[in-house]
Amino acid sequence: MYPVVRIEHLTKNYYLESVTVRALRGVTLTVNQGDFVALMGPSGSGKSTLLNLLGCLDRPTDGRYILGDDDVSHMEDDRLSEIRSRYLGFIFQSYNLLPQYTVVENIEVPLLYQGCRINEKTQQRCIQLAQLVGLGDRLDHRPMQLSGGQQQRVAIARALVNDPHVILADEPTGNLDSKTSDEIMQMLIRLNDAGKTIIMVTHENDIAAWAKRVVRMRDGQIETDERNATPKVAQDVSSAFVATLNSLLVDSVR
Amino acid sequence: MAASANQFLLFWDKSRRSFVLAARSLWLHKLRSFLSVLGIIIGTGAVITLMAFGEGSMHDALEDIKRQGATNVIVQSVKPADDSTSQRRSFIAAYGLTYADYEQFLILDCIVGSVPMRYFPQEIRNLHRMYNGRVVGTTAAYRNVNRLELVEGRFLIDSDEVSEPGDDNDLRNVVVLGADVAETLFPFQSAVGQTIVLSKHHYVVVGVLKDRSPITNSGGSAEEFNSDVYIPLSTCRGRFGEKVYIRQSGSRSGEQVELHQVTLTISDIDKVRDAGAVIRDQLERSHLKRDWRVVVPLDRIEEARRAKTRGMVLLFVIASISLSVGGIGIMNIMLATVTERTREIGIRRALGAKRSDITLQFLIEAVVQTTAGGILGALAGISLVFIVPWAGETLFSINVPARLNHEPIILSMSVAILVGIVFGLYPAFRASRLDPIEALRHD
Repeated sequence: MYPVVRIEHLTKNYYLESVTVRALRGVTLTVNQGDFVALMGPSGSGKSTLLNLLGCLDRPTDGRYILGDDDVSHMEDDRLSEIRSRYLGFIFQSYNLLPQYTVVENIEVPLLYQGCRINEKTQQRCIQLAQLVGLGDRLDHRPMQLSGGQQQRVAIARALVNDPHVILADEPTGNLDSKTSDEIMQMLIRLNDAGKTIIMVTHENDIAAWAKRVVRMRDGQIETDERNATPKVAQDVSSAFVATLNSLLVDSVR
Repeated sequence: MAASANQFLLFWDKSRRSFVLAARSLWLHKLRSFLSVLGIIIGTGAVITLMAFGEGSMHDALEDIKRQGATNVIVQSVKPADDSTSQRRSFIAAYGLTYADYEQFLILDCIVGSVPMRYFPQEIRNLHRMYNGRVVGTTAAYRNVNRLELVEGRFLIDSDEVSEPGDDNDLRNVVVLGADVAETLFPFQSAVGQTIVLSKHHYVVVGVLKDRSPITNSGGSAEEFNSDVYIPLSTCRGRFGEKVYIRQSGSRSGEQVELHQVTLTISDIDKVRDAGAVIRDQLERSHLKRDWRVVVPLDRIEEARRAKTRGMVLLFVIASISLSVGGIGIMNIMLATVTERTREIGIRRALGAKRSDITLQFLIEAVVQTTAGGILGALAGISLVFIVPWAGETLFSINVPARLNHEPIILSMSVAILVGIVFGLYPAFRASRLDPIEALRHD
């Protein structure tokens, strides 16, 4: 088992005027390739801070974070941007698509910043990804013209396009009804089955029940870290989906 | 080499995306964008229009001066202010340049050409037709100096002048008609070979001039061309004498002027001013009254150039003011855009955009806006350059000279782009410094 994410004694302090907020107080966690981790905890427990650090959007006050083979704990801003564009995929609660772009253009964005030339081939790949998440007939729609579930699918396709080490999902079903939530979770499960590592923040036990491993946080520390003995299983894991996804990602220009 | 080429292509990809995005949002917020670039539009438009009008009138003035000849020195007779005590009774005013003066001028060796002339109002008759025109006594060189063109016949030639002064029997009665005169006296027929009457003497028409509008507002020389008839100077002197009587609303006044104007052509443009000074000096000494005037067109060219420079400075000031006002408008709208699109910036940063990518994107948006403004302004300016002279002509019958050059268009467009860069830089920089986490949380 190859460890994709290794964090050791990670601390993060926020300095607000005279008060110091210790958001993370020494977190150590290793996530292996192909794992599906649900990060849980009440608000203020530090799970969002941890996710921001994992997403290389912020730098820790102390401790080490090794993503893949790179120690990203104290990288400068431009290098972090590069790491994000190459090795990380983001799925947000509020989808966060760019409203001016079409579905395909939204999926392309990470490639653009990765330093990849946009051409016929990359465009074709984006279209195939959109088809994979079931939006083959909405390629030229704008986010405003799509339902919440469809927008989240676009976000998933966008998170896949650079074949990231880790997909970070921040309450991916928070804004969706239970039926659509189910669909989105099934899709994440399929990605996980295809070998993608997923770290997901949620506060719903229902949603966490899909994950293979549940990490609970409290007061900036890990409270419990246990394997889910019987994770929910996707109903129709077609081998075709996995095969298509893999073939698409093997092509990916790195 | 290959790496840098690739870098460039990547840069081009990103920029192109930003261009498309900027154009889209420009189109989406048409009114807002229009209002924010209004300053730029007015600035560019004003520069192009003012430059064209300035250039046009400058060009006209220069043409005018050149027509008088940059190497010429024009000496004119001026009727002095009435000396009421001594000249009260006298009813003939004697003043002006004399033949003696003229001979004196020719002593200067830098003078390569000279055209003396006399002129006075006179009835010009052909049978029952009559025209109140002007008789001009001059020499063959007059044609070259004034660049006259003929529709038929010839101008005066040297052999029209008598060889020996005072030989009245040998005066040649030939005349060249101005366009209006020929039109009035000989409608629908050729004037050449026909006869006209000037004060009891008959003259044979040898040529007709092409229609030529008089030199406007140049102040210097007195030419009308269209209502003039030209006769040899010696004939003029012999037939009319030195005294001219003018009938004016019943009263008669007379004047005695030997030469009204002498145009001297100087060999070298560098010597024109000196020659002018020498001539002034000479006249100063030989004339008691100040009944003469020396006009050096070259001086007026310099003057016109100076006026142009002053105009350019003024224009530059106007342009900088309006363009910086426009730039501030852009800065304002870009700062608002950055705030409005904070979340988008957060998303882009999360997806791997570097700070420089964000800066580039917003800079391009600012430049696209100002460039669009510049294009609109240029179009507005160019149309004004065409509309205003046309309107002036048709509505008020004023001649508004305008000359459209490409320099001010290129200049103002590049300034518009520059304004986009300069005033877009700060908002773009602000956008790039946003914290991605904060920006993602923004709504």
